[in-house]
Amino acid sequence: MIKFVAVHKFFGALAALTDVNAEVRKGEVVVVCGPSGSGKSTLIRTVNRLEEIQSGSVLFEGRDVHGKLGGAALNHLRSRIGFVFQSFNLFPHLSALDNVMLSPMKVNGVKRSDAREMALRLLDRVGLAAKAQNYPGQLSGGQQQRVAIARALAMEPPAMLFDEPTSALDPEMVGEVLSVMRGLARDGMTMMCVTHEMNFARDVADRVWFMDAGRVLETGAPVDFFRSPQHPRAQRFLSDLHTR
Amino acid sequence: MSLLPSMIEIVRDNWLLLLVGQYPNGPLGGIAATLILSILGIALAFPLSVVMALASLSPWLALRWPVMALVYITRGVPLLLIILWVYFVLPLLIGHSVPAFATMLVTLVGYEAAFLSEIVRAGIQALPTGQMDAARALGHSRLGAMRYVILPQALFNMIPSILSQFVSTIKETTLGYIINVPELTFAAGQINNRLLTKPFEVYFILAISYFIVCWTLTQAINMVERRIAAGRTAGPVAVSALPTTAASVSGA
Repeated sequence: MIKFVAVHKFFGALAALTDVNAEVRKGEVVVVCGPSGSGKSTLIRTVNRLEEIQSGSVLFEGRDVHGKLGGAALNHLRSRIGFVFQSFNLFPHLSALDNVMLSPMKVNGVKRSDAREMALRLLDRVGLAAKAQNYPGQLSGGQQQRVAIARALAMEPPAMLFDEPTSALDPEMVGEVLSVMRGLARDGMTMMCVTHEMNFARDVADRVWFMDAGRVLETGAPVDFFRSPQHPRAQRFLSDLHTR
Repeated sequence: MSLLPSMIEIVRDNWLLLLVGQYPNGPLGGIAATLILSILGIALAFPLSVVMALASLSPWLALRWPVMALVYITRGVPLLLIILWVYFVLPLLIGHSVPAFATMLVTLVGYEAAFLSEIVRAGIQALPTGQMDAARALGHSRLGAMRYVILPQALFNMIPSILSQFVSTIKETTLGYIINVPELTFAAGQINNRLLTKPFEVYFILAISYFIVCWTLTQAINMVERRIAAGRTAGPVAVSALPTTAASVSGA
Protein backbone atom coordinates (compact mmCIF):
# COMPACT_ATOMS: atom_id res chain seq x y z
CA MET A 1 0.00 0.00 0.00
CA ILE A 2 2.94 2.30 0.80
CA LYS A 3 6.05 1.46 -1.16
CA PHE A 4 9.43 3.17 -1.08
CA VAL A 5 11.53 2.55 -4.19
CA ALA A 6 15.17 3.67 -4.17
CA VAL A 7 14.33 6.85 -2.25
CA HIS A 8 17.12 9.37 -1.82
CA LYS A 9 16.83 12.69 -0.05
CA PHE A 10 19.42 15.34 0.74
CA PHE A 11 19.41 18.40 2.96
CA GLY A 12 22.11 20.27 1.10
CA ALA A 13 25.14 17.98 1.20
CA LEU A 14 23.72 15.88 4.04
CA ALA A 15 22.13 12.62 2.93
CA ALA A 16 18.87 12.37 4.89
CA LEU A 17 17.60 9.24 3.18
CA THR A 18 19.77 6.83 1.23
CA ASP A 19 18.36 4.18 -1.08
CA VAL A 20 15.28 3.30 0.95
CA ASN A 21 13.41 0.28 -0.40
CA ALA A 22 10.57 -1.03 1.73
CA GLU A 23 6.86 -1.65 1.69
CA VAL A 24 3.94 -1.36 4.09
CA ARG A 25 1.28 -3.86 3.01
CA LYS A 26 -2.44 -3.36 3.39
CA GLY A 27 -3.61 -4.04 6.93
CA GLU A 28 -0.06 -4.17 8.21
CA VAL A 29 1.30 -2.28 11.22
CA VAL A 30 4.90 -1.19 10.68
CA VAL A 31 6.93 0.43 13.44
CA VAL A 32 9.94 2.43 12.34
CA CYS A 33 12.61 2.71 15.01
CA GLY A 34 16.18 3.83 15.29
CA PRO A 35 18.36 6.45 16.95
CA SER A 36 17.49 10.17 16.72
CA GLY A 37 18.52 11.77 13.48
CA SER A 38 18.34 8.49 11.61
CA GLY A 39 15.74 9.81 9.16
CA LYS A 40 12.61 8.14 10.55
CA SER A 41 10.49 11.30 10.64
CA THR A 42 11.84 12.45 7.29
CA LEU A 43 10.90 9.10 5.77
CA ILE A 44 7.34 9.13 7.09
CA ARG A 45 6.87 12.74 5.94
CA THR A 46 7.77 11.79 2.37
CA VAL A 47 4.70 9.55 2.21
CA ASN A 48 2.30 12.51 1.95
CA ARG A 49 4.95 14.79 0.48
CA LEU A 50 5.42 17.07 3.46
CA GLU A 51 9.06 16.42 2.52
CA GLU A 52 10.27 16.35 -1.07
CA ILE A 53 12.70 13.68 -2.27
CA GLN A 54 15.50 14.00 -4.78
CA SER A 55 15.20 10.65 -6.50
CA GLY A 56 13.27 7.40 -6.35
CA SER A 57 9.56 7.14 -5.79
CA VAL A 58 7.06 6.69 -2.99
CA LEU A 59 3.96 4.82 -4.09
CA PHE A 60 0.68 5.08 -2.23
CA GLU A 61 -1.97 2.69 -3.53
CA GLY A 62 0.19 2.37 -6.64
CA ARG A 63 0.39 6.12 -7.36
CA ASP A 64 3.69 7.95 -7.21
CA VAL A 65 3.26 10.64 -4.57
CA HIS A 66 6.32 12.49 -5.87
CA GLY A 67 5.46 12.11 -9.54
CA LYS A 68 3.91 14.76 -11.72
CA LEU A 69 0.70 15.49 -9.87
CA GLY A 70 -1.58 18.48 -10.19
CA GLY A 71 -2.33 20.37 -6.99
CA ALA A 72 -5.81 18.87 -6.76
CA ALA A 73 -4.51 15.33 -7.24
CA LEU A 74 -1.91 15.81 -4.50
CA ASN A 75 -4.52 17.27 -2.14
CA HIS A 76 -6.76 14.28 -2.82
CA LEU A 77 -3.91 11.85 -2.17
CA ARG A 78 -3.05 13.61 1.09
CA SER A 79 -6.68 13.51 2.20
CA ARG A 80 -6.47 9.70 1.98
CA ILE A 81 -3.41 9.44 4.24
CA GLY A 82 -4.05 10.12 7.91
CA PHE A 83 -1.12 11.86 9.57
CA VAL A 84 -0.56 12.29 13.30
CA PHE A 85 2.17 14.71 14.39
CA GLN A 86 4.47 14.64 17.39
CA SER A 87 3.27 18.14 18.34
CA PHE A 88 -0.46 17.35 17.70
CA ASN A 89 -0.93 20.51 15.61
CA LEU A 90 -4.58 20.86 16.52
CA PHE A 91 -6.12 24.09 15.25
CA PRO A 92 -6.22 26.18 18.46
CA HIS A 93 -9.00 28.50 17.26
CA LEU A 94 -11.44 25.61 16.85
CA SER A 95 -13.09 23.36 19.43
CA ALA A 96 -12.21 19.66 19.46
CA LEU A 97 -15.43 18.96 17.58
CA ASP A 98 -14.74 21.61 14.94
CA ASN A 99 -11.16 20.37 14.54
CA VAL A 100 -12.58 16.98 13.57
CA MET A 101 -15.43 18.38 11.44
CA LEU A 102 -13.50 20.98 9.44
CA SER A 103 -11.75 18.86 6.84
CA PRO A 104 -14.57 16.42 6.00
CA MET A 105 -16.74 19.49 5.33
CA LYS A 106 -14.28 21.70 3.49
CA VAL A 107 -12.22 19.07 1.67
CA ASN A 108 -14.71 16.26 1.07
CA GLY A 109 -17.88 18.35 0.97
CA VAL A 110 -19.61 16.34 3.69
CA LYS A 111 -22.81 17.96 5.00
CA ARG A 112 -22.46 19.72 8.36
CA SER A 113 -24.97 17.44 10.10
CA ASP A 114 -23.25 14.31 8.79
CA ALA A 115 -19.79 15.66 9.67
CA ARG A 116 -20.97 16.44 13.17
CA GLU A 117 -22.42 13.00 13.67
CA MET A 118 -19.22 11.36 12.43
CA ALA A 119 -17.01 13.67 14.53
CA LEU A 120 -18.96 12.87 17.70
CA ARG A 121 -18.69 9.15 16.95
CA LEU A 122 -14.91 9.46 16.42
CA LEU A 123 -14.41 11.55 19.56
CA ASP A 124 -16.34 8.88 21.43
CA ARG A 125 -14.07 6.23 19.92
CA VAL A 126 -10.97 8.00 21.29
CA GLY A 127 -12.75 8.44 24.64
CA LEU A 128 -13.31 12.20 24.40
CA ALA A 129 -17.03 12.59 23.69
CA ALA A 130 -17.31 14.72 26.83
CA LYS A 131 -14.62 17.13 25.60
CA ALA A 132 -16.15 17.87 22.19
CA GLN A 133 -16.77 21.54 22.97
CA ASN A 134 -13.38 22.15 24.60
CA TYR A 135 -10.64 24.07 22.83
CA PRO A 136 -7.21 22.47 22.39
CA GLY A 137 -5.74 24.84 24.98
CA GLN A 138 -8.07 23.37 27.56
CA LEU A 139 -7.02 19.77 26.91
CA SER A 140 -4.04 17.77 28.20
CA GLY A 141 -1.38 16.61 25.75
CA GLY A 142 -2.75 13.09 25.66
CA GLN A 143 -6.26 14.39 25.03
CA GLN A 144 -5.03 16.68 22.27
CA GLN A 145 -3.25 13.82 20.56
CA ARG A 146 -6.38 11.68 20.73
CA VAL A 147 -8.38 14.51 19.14
CA ALA A 148 -5.68 14.71 16.46
CA ILE A 149 -6.13 10.99 15.77
CA ALA A 150 -9.91 11.49 15.53
CA ARG A 151 -9.33 14.42 13.18
CA ALA A 152 -7.19 12.26 10.89
CA LEU A 153 -9.71 9.39 11.01
CA ALA A 154 -12.52 11.75 10.01
CA MET A 155 -11.13 11.76 6.46
CA GLU A 156 -11.67 7.97 6.44
CA PRO A 157 -8.11 7.30 5.27
CA PRO A 158 -7.13 3.77 4.26
CA ALA A 159 -3.78 4.27 6.01
CA MET A 160 -2.54 6.18 9.05
CA LEU A 161 0.93 7.57 9.65
CA PHE A 162 2.15 8.37 13.16
CA ASP A 163 5.24 10.55 13.57
CA GLU A 164 6.43 10.02 17.16
CA PRO A 165 2.89 10.46 18.49
CA THR A 166 3.86 10.04 22.15
CA SER A 167 7.26 11.76 22.25
CA ALA A 168 5.87 15.12 23.35
CA LEU A 169 3.69 13.63 26.08
CA ASP A 170 4.15 13.36 29.81
CA PRO A 171 4.75 9.69 30.67
CA GLU A 172 1.35 9.20 32.32
CA MET A 173 -0.39 10.22 29.09
CA VAL A 174 1.47 7.88 26.76
CA GLY A 175 -0.76 4.93 27.60
CA GLU A 176 -4.04 6.55 26.57
CA VAL A 177 -2.69 7.41 23.11
CA LEU A 178 -1.10 4.01 22.60
CA SER A 179 -4.33 2.28 23.55
CA VAL A 180 -6.19 4.22 20.86
CA MET A 181 -3.51 3.15 18.39
CA ARG A 182 -3.79 -0.46 19.53
CA GLY A 183 -7.54 -0.25 18.90
CA LEU A 184 -6.93 0.99 15.37
CA ALA A 185 -4.46 -1.82 14.69
CA ARG A 186 -6.97 -4.33 15.99
CA ASP A 187 -9.56 -2.96 13.55
CA GLY A 188 -7.20 -3.70 10.67
CA MET A 189 -5.96 -0.18 9.90
CA THR A 190 -2.81 0.02 7.80
CA MET A 191 -0.35 1.89 10.01
CA MET A 192 3.17 3.21 9.78
CA CYS A 193 4.43 4.46 13.15
CA VAL A 194 7.66 6.17 14.05
CA THR A 195 7.97 5.59 17.77
CA HIS A 196 10.36 4.91 20.60
CA GLU A 197 7.74 2.79 22.39
CA MET A 198 9.35 -0.60 22.04
CA ASN A 199 6.60 -2.38 23.94
CA PHE A 200 4.12 -1.08 21.41
CA ALA A 201 6.38 -2.36 18.62
CA ARG A 202 6.70 -5.76 20.29
CA ASP A 203 2.97 -6.17 20.94
CA VAL A 204 1.30 -4.51 17.97
CA ALA A 205 3.68 -4.31 15.02
CA ASP A 206 3.61 -6.85 12.22
CA ARG A 207 7.04 -5.68 11.13
CA VAL A 208 9.75 -3.48 12.56
CA TRP A 209 12.01 -1.34 10.37
CA PHE A 210 15.28 -0.30 11.87
CA MET A 211 16.84 2.89 10.50
CA ASP A 212 20.22 4.47 10.97
CA ALA A 213 21.91 7.31 9.08
CA GLY A 214 19.14 7.54 6.50
CA ARG A 215 19.07 3.84 5.62
CA VAL A 216 16.59 1.13 6.46
CA LEU A 217 19.07 -1.45 7.75
CA GLU A 218 16.71 -4.17 8.84
CA THR A 219 13.08 -5.14 8.44
CA GLY A 220 11.60 -8.07 10.26
CA ALA A 221 8.92 -9.45 12.52
CA PRO A 222 9.19 -7.95 16.01
CA VAL A 223 9.90 -11.35 17.56
CA ASP A 224 12.95 -11.81 15.36
CA PHE A 225 14.07 -8.21 15.54
CA PHE A 226 14.00 -8.00 19.31
CA ARG A 227 15.35 -11.50 19.93
CA SER A 228 18.05 -11.69 17.30
CA PRO A 229 18.74 -8.49 15.42
CA GLN A 230 20.99 -9.12 12.41
CA HIS A 231 22.68 -5.80 11.79
CA PRO A 232 25.43 -4.79 14.24
CA ARG A 233 23.98 -1.27 14.47
CA ALA A 234 20.57 -2.72 15.43
CA GLN A 235 22.21 -4.98 18.02
CA ARG A 236 23.92 -1.97 19.57
CA PHE A 237 20.69 0.08 19.50
CA LEU A 238 18.75 -2.65 21.30
CA SER A 239 21.44 -3.30 23.88
CA ASP A 240 21.62 0.45 24.58
CA LEU A 241 17.85 0.38 25.15
CA HIS A 242 18.14 -2.49 27.61
CA THR A 243 21.00 -1.07 29.62
CA ARG A 244 19.26 2.28 30.01
CA MET B 1 -4.34 87.56 28.76
CA SER B 2 -3.90 84.07 30.11
CA LEU B 3 -3.90 81.05 27.86
CA LEU B 4 -6.70 78.89 29.19
CA PRO B 5 -9.62 81.35 29.01
CA SER B 6 -8.51 82.31 25.56
CA MET B 7 -8.49 78.69 24.40
CA ILE B 8 -11.86 78.03 25.96
CA GLU B 9 -13.20 81.02 24.09
CA ILE B 10 -11.82 79.76 20.77
CA VAL B 11 -13.33 76.32 21.33
CA ARG B 12 -16.66 77.89 22.32
CA ASP B 13 -16.77 79.96 19.16
CA ASN B 14 -15.53 77.27 16.78
CA TRP B 15 -16.49 73.87 18.20
CA LEU B 16 -18.82 73.07 15.34
CA LEU B 17 -16.12 73.84 12.76
CA LEU B 18 -13.67 71.62 14.64
CA LEU B 19 -16.23 68.81 14.85
CA VAL B 20 -17.78 68.74 11.38
CA GLY B 21 -16.19 71.56 9.37
CA GLN B 22 -18.61 73.68 7.36
CA TYR B 23 -21.20 70.94 7.14
CA PRO B 24 -24.13 71.23 6.30
CA ASN B 25 -23.36 74.45 4.41
CA GLY B 26 -20.11 73.09 2.98
CA PRO B 27 -18.28 69.76 2.81
CA LEU B 28 -18.03 67.62 5.93
CA GLY B 29 -14.77 68.40 7.73
CA GLY B 30 -13.15 68.60 11.14
CA ILE B 31 -12.78 65.58 13.42
CA ALA B 32 -15.65 63.89 11.57
CA ALA B 33 -13.77 64.01 8.27
CA THR B 34 -10.54 62.90 9.97
CA LEU B 35 -12.27 59.88 11.48
CA ILE B 36 -14.15 59.02 8.29
CA LEU B 37 -10.94 59.21 6.28
CA SER B 38 -9.10 57.01 8.78
CA ILE B 39 -11.87 54.46 9.18
CA LEU B 40 -12.55 54.21 5.44
CA GLY B 41 -8.81 54.15 4.78
CA ILE B 42 -8.17 51.22 7.10
CA ALA B 43 -11.42 49.41 6.26
CA LEU B 44 -10.70 49.48 2.53
CA ALA B 45 -6.99 48.84 2.97
CA PHE B 46 -7.50 45.78 5.17
CA PRO B 47 -9.03 43.34 2.66
CA LEU B 48 -6.55 44.60 0.08
CA SER B 49 -3.69 43.98 2.49
CA VAL B 50 -4.76 40.37 3.09
CA VAL B 51 -4.75 39.72 -0.66
CA MET B 52 -1.35 41.43 -0.92
CA ALA B 53 0.05 39.40 1.97
CA LEU B 54 -1.12 36.15 0.37
CA ALA B 55 0.44 37.27 -2.91
CA SER B 56 3.72 38.13 -1.21
CA LEU B 57 3.82 34.62 0.32
CA SER B 58 2.86 32.95 -2.94
CA PRO B 59 5.27 30.50 -4.53
CA TRP B 60 4.76 32.36 -7.85
CA LEU B 61 7.16 35.18 -8.58
CA ALA B 62 4.61 36.94 -10.80
CA LEU B 63 2.36 37.43 -7.76
CA ARG B 64 5.12 38.20 -5.28
CA TRP B 65 6.98 40.73 -7.35
CA PRO B 66 4.39 43.54 -7.83
CA VAL B 67 3.42 43.43 -4.17
CA MET B 68 7.00 43.59 -2.94
CA ALA B 69 7.64 46.50 -5.33
CA LEU B 70 4.65 48.41 -3.96
CA VAL B 71 5.73 47.71 -0.38
CA TYR B 72 9.27 48.90 -0.99
CA ILE B 73 8.04 52.05 -2.74
CA THR B 74 5.69 52.99 0.09
CA ARG B 75 8.41 52.28 2.62
CA GLY B 76 10.94 54.37 0.78
CA VAL B 77 8.88 57.41 -0.22
CA PRO B 78 7.35 59.89 2.25
CA LEU B 79 3.54 59.83 2.36
CA LEU B 80 3.44 63.56 1.61
CA LEU B 81 5.18 62.97 -1.72
CA ILE B 82 2.78 60.19 -2.65
CA ILE B 83 -0.16 62.49 -1.85
CA LEU B 84 1.24 65.26 -4.06
CA TRP B 85 2.01 62.78 -6.79
CA VAL B 86 -1.52 61.36 -6.78
CA TYR B 87 -2.96 64.88 -6.53
CA PHE B 88 -1.10 66.24 -9.55
CA VAL B 89 -0.51 63.19 -11.73
CA LEU B 90 -3.73 61.20 -11.37
CA PRO B 91 -5.90 63.94 -12.98
CA LEU B 92 -3.45 64.08 -15.90
CA LEU B 93 -3.66 60.33 -16.36
CA ILE B 94 -7.44 59.97 -16.17
CA GLY B 95 -8.23 63.30 -17.82
CA HIS B 96 -10.41 64.99 -15.24
CA SER B 97 -9.98 66.41 -11.79
CA VAL B 98 -10.35 64.33 -8.66
CA PRO B 99 -11.82 65.77 -5.45
CA ALA B 100 -9.23 66.27 -2.71
CA PHE B 101 -11.06 63.94 -0.32
CA ALA B 102 -11.04 61.12 -2.88
CA THR B 103 -7.39 61.78 -3.67
CA MET B 104 -6.51 61.53 0.02
CA LEU B 105 -8.61 58.40 0.51
CA VAL B 106 -7.11 56.57 -2.47
CA THR B 107 -3.60 57.47 -1.34
CA LEU B 108 -4.26 56.38 2.24
CA VAL B 109 -5.78 53.07 1.12
CA GLY B 110 -2.77 52.25 -1.03
CA TYR B 111 -0.28 53.38 1.59
CA GLU B 112 -1.95 51.63 4.52
CA ALA B 113 -2.54 48.47 2.49
CA ALA B 114 1.20 48.21 1.87
CA PHE B 115 2.00 48.54 5.58
CA LEU B 116 -0.87 46.31 6.70
CA SER B 117 0.18 43.64 4.22
CA GLU B 118 3.55 43.49 5.96
CA ILE B 119 1.78 43.12 9.30
CA VAL B 120 -0.46 40.37 7.91
CA ARG B 121 2.51 38.60 6.33
CA ALA B 122 4.42 38.69 9.62
CA GLY B 123 1.33 37.40 11.42
CA ILE B 124 1.03 34.47 9.04
CA GLN B 125 4.73 33.66 9.30
CA ALA B 126 4.63 33.85 13.09
CA LEU B 127 2.31 30.83 13.28
CA PRO B 128 3.99 27.46 13.87
CA THR B 129 4.66 25.67 10.57
CA GLY B 130 2.88 22.64 11.98
CA GLN B 131 -0.44 24.40 11.43
CA MET B 132 0.09 24.55 7.67
CA ASP B 133 1.52 21.01 7.67
CA ALA B 134 -1.53 19.68 9.49
CA ALA B 135 -3.96 21.43 7.16
CA ARG B 136 -2.12 20.24 4.05
CA ALA B 137 -1.85 16.70 5.43
CA LEU B 138 -5.65 16.67 5.79
CA GLY B 139 -5.95 17.51 2.09
CA HIS B 140 -6.66 21.26 2.20
CA SER B 141 -5.33 23.29 -0.70
CA ARG B 142 -2.93 26.12 0.13
CA LEU B 143 -5.70 28.67 -0.14
CA GLY B 144 -8.11 26.47 1.83
CA ALA B 145 -5.53 26.08 4.59
CA MET B 146 -5.03 29.86 4.64
CA ARG B 147 -8.75 30.52 4.79
CA TYR B 148 -9.83 28.01 7.42
CA VAL B 149 -6.69 27.50 9.51
CA ILE B 150 -4.01 30.16 9.11
CA LEU B 151 -5.82 33.47 8.59
CA PRO B 152 -8.39 33.06 11.39
CA GLN B 153 -5.50 32.65 13.84
CA ALA B 154 -3.14 35.16 12.28
CA LEU B 155 -5.71 37.94 11.91
CA PHE B 156 -6.90 37.47 15.46
CA ASN B 157 -3.33 37.72 16.73
CA MET B 158 -2.88 40.88 14.68
CA ILE B 159 -5.86 42.85 15.98
CA PRO B 160 -3.65 45.05 18.21
CA SER B 161 -1.22 45.78 15.36
CA ILE B 162 -4.06 46.65 13.01
CA LEU B 163 -5.55 48.98 15.61
CA SER B 164 -2.24 50.74 16.15
CA GLN B 165 -1.95 51.15 12.41
CA PHE B 166 -5.36 52.83 12.63
CA VAL B 167 -3.98 55.32 15.15
CA SER B 168 -1.07 56.04 12.80
CA THR B 169 -3.56 56.61 10.01
CA ILE B 170 -5.44 59.21 12.04
CA LYS B 171 -2.21 61.15 12.40
CA GLU B 172 -1.39 60.70 8.73
CA THR B 173 -4.67 62.29 7.63
CA THR B 174 -3.23 65.64 8.77
CA LEU B 175 -1.19 65.60 5.56
CA GLY B 176 -4.47 66.09 3.69
CA TYR B 177 -4.07 69.72 4.77
CA ILE B 178 -1.57 70.24 1.96
CA ILE B 179 -4.17 69.44 -0.73
CA ASN B 180 -7.02 71.24 1.10
CA VAL B 181 -8.85 68.19 2.40
CA PRO B 182 -11.19 69.79 4.98
CA GLU B 183 -10.16 67.58 7.91
CA LEU B 184 -9.33 68.63 11.47
CA THR B 185 -5.98 70.29 10.79
CA PHE B 186 -7.52 72.20 7.91
CA ALA B 187 -10.33 73.43 10.19
CA ALA B 188 -7.74 74.64 12.70
CA GLY B 189 -5.93 76.40 9.89
CA GLN B 190 -9.14 78.21 8.94
CA ILE B 191 -9.65 79.33 12.54
CA ASN B 192 -6.07 80.51 12.76
CA ASN B 193 -6.41 82.50 9.55
CA ARG B 194 -9.49 84.20 10.90
CA LEU B 195 -8.03 85.05 14.33
CA LEU B 196 -4.53 85.83 13.04
CA THR B 197 -3.11 86.59 16.49
CA LYS B 198 -3.58 83.33 18.34
CA PRO B 199 -1.64 80.57 16.54
CA PHE B 200 -0.31 79.07 19.77
CA GLU B 201 -3.78 78.67 21.27
CA VAL B 202 -5.30 77.30 18.05
CA TYR B 203 -2.61 74.73 17.41
CA PHE B 204 -2.53 73.75 21.06
CA ILE B 205 -6.24 72.97 20.81
CA LEU B 206 -5.49 70.98 17.66
CA ALA B 207 -2.77 68.97 19.38
CA ILE B 208 -5.03 68.23 22.35
CA SER B 209 -7.81 67.10 20.02
CA TYR B 210 -5.56 64.60 18.24
CA PHE B 211 -4.09 63.48 21.52
CA ILE B 212 -7.50 62.75 23.05
CA VAL B 213 -8.62 60.69 20.05
CA CYS B 214 -5.36 58.76 19.71
CA TRP B 215 -4.77 58.28 23.42
CA THR B 216 -8.28 56.89 23.86
CA LEU B 217 -7.72 54.45 21.02
CA THR B 218 -4.32 53.43 22.36
CA GLN B 219 -5.91 52.65 25.72
CA ALA B 220 -8.51 50.56 23.93
CA ILE B 221 -5.73 48.71 22.11
CA ASN B 222 -3.98 47.95 25.39
CA MET B 223 -7.23 46.54 26.72
CA VAL B 224 -7.72 44.36 23.64
CA GLU B 225 -4.11 43.17 23.93
CA ARG B 226 -4.64 42.16 27.54
CA ARG B 227 -7.85 40.35 26.65
CA ILE B 228 -6.15 38.41 23.88
CA ALA B 229 -3.19 37.55 26.10
CA ALA B 230 -5.53 36.36 28.84
CA GLY B 231 -7.56 34.25 26.44
CA ARG B 232 -4.42 32.65 25.09
CA THR B 233 -2.65 31.63 28.28
CA ALA B 234 -4.30 28.24 28.15
CA GLY B 235 -3.48 27.69 24.50
CA PRO B 236 -0.31 26.07 23.19
CA VAL B 237 0.06 28.43 20.21
CA ALA B 238 1.16 31.64 21.87
CA VAL B 239 2.57 34.05 19.33
CA SER B 240 5.12 35.93 21.39
CA ALA B 241 6.49 38.16 18.64
CA LEU B 242 3.51 40.21 17.58
CA PRO B 243 4.42 42.45 14.67
CA THR B 244 3.71 45.75 16.37
CA THR B 245 6.79 47.47 15.01
CA ALA B 246 5.41 48.04 11.50
CA ALA B 247 3.06 50.69 12.86
CA SER B 248 5.87 52.74 14.34
CA VAL B 249 7.86 53.00 11.12
CA SER B 250 4.90 54.26 9.14
CA GLY B 251 4.70 57.69 10.75
CA ALA B 252 4.83 60.19 7.90
